[in-house]
Amino acid sequence: MKATYINPIYIAAREVFQNMFSIELEREDLRVDEKIVPNHVINVSIGITGDLKGTIVFSFPEEMVFNLVEEMAGMEFKEFDTFMASAIGELANIITGNAMSNLSESGYSCNIVPPQITVGLNKSFSTASKQILIIPIQAGNKNFDLYISIKE
Amino acid sequence: MLETIPDKRHQVKRNKEDKKVIWKDKYAIGVEVIDRQHKELFERFNKFLKVVRSEHSMEEKIDDIEETFNFMGEYVIAHFQSEEAVQKKYNFPEYERHHQIHENFKKDVMEFKRKFEEDKYNEELIMEFSGRILTWLINHVTGEDQKISKYINRKEEE
Repeated sequence: MKATYINPIYIAAREVFQNMFSIELEREDLRVDEKIVPNHVINVSIGITGDLKGTIVFSFPEEMVFNLVEEMAGMEFKEFDTFMASAIGELANIITGNAMSNLSESGYSCNIVPPQITVGLNKSFSTASKQILIIPIQAGNKNFDLYISIKE
Repeated sequence: MLETIPDKRHQVKRNKEDKKVIWKDKYAIGVEVIDRQHKELFERFNKFLKVVRSEHSMEEKIDDIEETFNFMGEYVIAHFQSEEAVQKKYNFPEYERHHQIHENFKKDVMEFKRKFEEDKYNEELIMEFSGRILTWLINHVTGEDQKISKYINRKEEE
């Protein structure tokens, strides 16, 4: 998988977190794996079609999702429910949409498929490529991961 | 130009402790007329959200959901028209793109309204819509709309 896909995706995430939450993201060292088995409980998977094909999985710790959605909604939540899933799914959708728009500047024309949200550890995701790039990201005092599996 | 309309019609019972609002001053883009409208839009959305998230049964809250949804929906249309007029006035170069984003959003809201009218007590449908709209609105105001203010400020400095 080309590293040129990575930066436009990270830049999109950084801008959205900065604009919406005033949180500065910091990228940690990239990792490579053969499959997507996320480290965190709440996972948003977004399919990519067009010139590039594959999946991006946003893997968030539960506490981070509560913090983000509670900050946006100005109210507290007792449990992870459809509302929260939809709000965090839209966040991943926006970031991926902006990432694809960044990639279109490099000549790639892609569409995205609406987000799928899964809850729980040890869930694996089917992938388009045999090599998965993992971007661990620090968001304030929390960490989340982006799993990227894309091929041309 | 669209002005803030005092909310006299709307009588949703609200929890006294529930004073938090979704609007934050950091969302302001620095164009007074647009910021005033965004604040009003967020207040209306906030009313909708408070009803949607209340612990009352669907039967108890359905009228308030419908009323707050309509109250918000009518303002969305008026605000988009007004914001687009500001963009035109300043020859904002991304006008067409921004207009299309507004049109897509309106389509999304109309699609929800259609599904909601077919199946009024479907709480999952309402939760899915309102969660998604919350994130969309905040992203739109803090992302796309900031581009308008940056452009206007740059133009006025010239």
